[in-house]
Amino acid sequence: MENTMTKQKKRNKKPILSIGVWIAFVIFALYSISLLFPFIWMLLNSFRGVEEWQHITTFDQYWSLPTNWDFSNYAKILKTDINGDNLLSMILNSLILTILGTVVNVFFSACAAYAVAKYDFPGKKILYGLAIFAMVVPIVGTLPAQVKFMEFLHLNDTYIGVLFLYSGAFGFNFILLHSAFESISWNYAEAAQMDGAGHFQIFFKVMIPMCKGPIISCCILQAITLWNDYSTPFLFLQSHKTLAVGLQSIQNELKLTGNYPLVFAAIIISIVPVIVLYSLFQKKIIENTVAGGLKG
Amino acid sequence: MEQVNNAESTVTAIEKVEEVKTESPKPAKKKMSKKRKKELIFVAILLAYPVIQFLLTWIFVNSYSIILAFENVSLEGKVTFAGLKNFIDIFKQFDINYGGGIDLGNGTRLSYNLMIVINSFAYGIITIFISLPLALICSYFLSKKMPLANVFRVIFFLPNIISVVALVYAFKMQTVDSSAGLIYHFLSALGMKVNIDTWPNTTLIVLVYCIWAGLGYNVLLLSGAIGRIPNELFESAQMDGASSFKQFTKIMIPMVWPTVVTLVVLGLTSILTLYLQPVLFDLNNNETIAGTIFNGVSGSGSKTMYPYYAAFGLLFSFVLAPAILYIRKVISRKYSDTDC
Repeated sequence: MENTMTKQKKRNKKPILSIGVWIAFVIFALYSISLLFPFIWMLLNSFRGVEEWQHITTFDQYWSLPTNWDFSNYAKILKTDINGDNLLSMILNSLILTILGTVVNVFFSACAAYAVAKYDFPGKKILYGLAIFAMVVPIVGTLPAQVKFMEFLHLNDTYIGVLFLYSGAFGFNFILLHSAFESISWNYAEAAQMDGAGHFQIFFKVMIPMCKGPIISCCILQAITLWNDYSTPFLFLQSHKTLAVGLQSIQNELKLTGNYPLVFAAIIISIVPVIVLYSLFQKKIIENTVAGGLKG
Repeated sequence: MEQVNNAESTVTAIEKVEEVKTESPKPAKKKMSKKRKKELIFVAILLAYPVIQFLLTWIFVNSYSIILAFENVSLEGKVTFAGLKNFIDIFKQFDINYGGGIDLGNGTRLSYNLMIVINSFAYGIITIFISLPLALICSYFLSKKMPLANVFRVIFFLPNIISVVALVYAFKMQTVDSSAGLIYHFLSALGMKVNIDTWPNTTLIVLVYCIWAGLGYNVLLLSGAIGRIPNELFESAQMDGASSFKQFTKIMIPMVWPTVVTLVVLGLTSILTLYLQPVLFDLNNNETIAGTIFNGVSGSGSKTMYPYYAAFGLLFSFVLAPAILYIRKVISRKYSDTDC
């Protein structure tokens, strides 16, 4: 008797809930479309000839398929000169900085995380506390000091300078790798020690391979962050534009000539590597960014 | 080997340090000298670069920034002690009669620095009072059984991996920047036209963008937290006849409160740190506190103004950072007895 009562109650509740869920479903669908659609639109129009683009005005025309598919926009934008740079050189700059920046960042983060997680040394607690403090407390307005400091070291407008800024070891990767190293038992190191391995061998041959998963996660996320980074190369590498910086000047330049399809092609080129990485490591990326909380 | 817990939060990480301390190799005191020395040398090698880099880019730059705020740099680059002059200049810019301020179109004027403060707070306020509640409701529904929930998750995450430059451009193309975009056609069909040249519209556009681009991430973060709530809680509440609304306010909110606190703190922090979106939108008078500083040091900025911007940052950090830390403390106390 009681059982059927609760069942009835449940049945009464259900429609109310599912109406709510369906309303939410529609809203989510609309929101998802609003996220995808500007990029699909750009993709579509990146194949439109510039001539055609300049003569269309109505909404239907902007959403129609191009009359003749012009793939040359992609080839053109790679070589179009934008204040002394072209997209090809920007891509190259971005690649160099992304790859090297990821390597130095994750490597030094791993070194610092391992030392703090597995060894006891004076000042360890202070170091850890400072690292957390630096991450948590918002300090704004140190940019003028940073610019002057980089000029003083003659590191402004150099690749080394940007890499130096990228190589900060006490960021989110430090926290993630710290907990990763921590969870590995020290017994493995002791076993290796028995076999005569030194500290370095233990670190590189035992510990790093065992932390492969988290290290790869850090690399993927770091690579995406650096590929998209705007402000560091904008401020500290003015004479060699990266893709993110270059896109902004491409927009401003080509807007004047009405060459929009070329801009769209450039945008599409810039997001393709990220989309590829995302589709390959989607689960890992979501997990780690969500864990990271306040990155970026 | 234990599975690495990716969701490790900062706080638990701090606590864990103490555990490790006892776990790590601790040789007996007398014998240790040689072995211990080797160990310390190894640690020193590992930490040398990270610590030096940290000292230079964080400790030194921050200290130097404070000094810079009290300096005066002449056109020839001569540095002198300025006392509080830079700070006084900031307060002067709050006065309409001093800098002229900005014209609001209908004859009224607003002082430049007041506009910056209003803009910055606007971003913080919409994050906390619009984006966050919206995300809470959305993630509540996403946690219910919904068709395509995983597809939504994948799409919602896109704004986090696409560069802000591309995302801002995509948004601008559809809204304000061209007659090609959807919103433009939509509005002109209604006979409306958005004026994008004057404040506060210029700021409102960026605010709308921030809600649009930030919603997905908040939803993901919150639905992750909701996923960790034991399902029995909802089930037993439903048995007792609790309505969806009751379940939302009495179970879900308290259980995800730590994540809500994080998002509120992030929103408050954005008052101080948000700069990229307004800078990239490049509209009139949409600068924030950090955006003003960014523009001040980039390309067009004169070196003589650096001390002013250093003081500008210092002043706002000095006032707002403790306030943010205090608010964080106060709001985390609510529902502090639930641990999740």
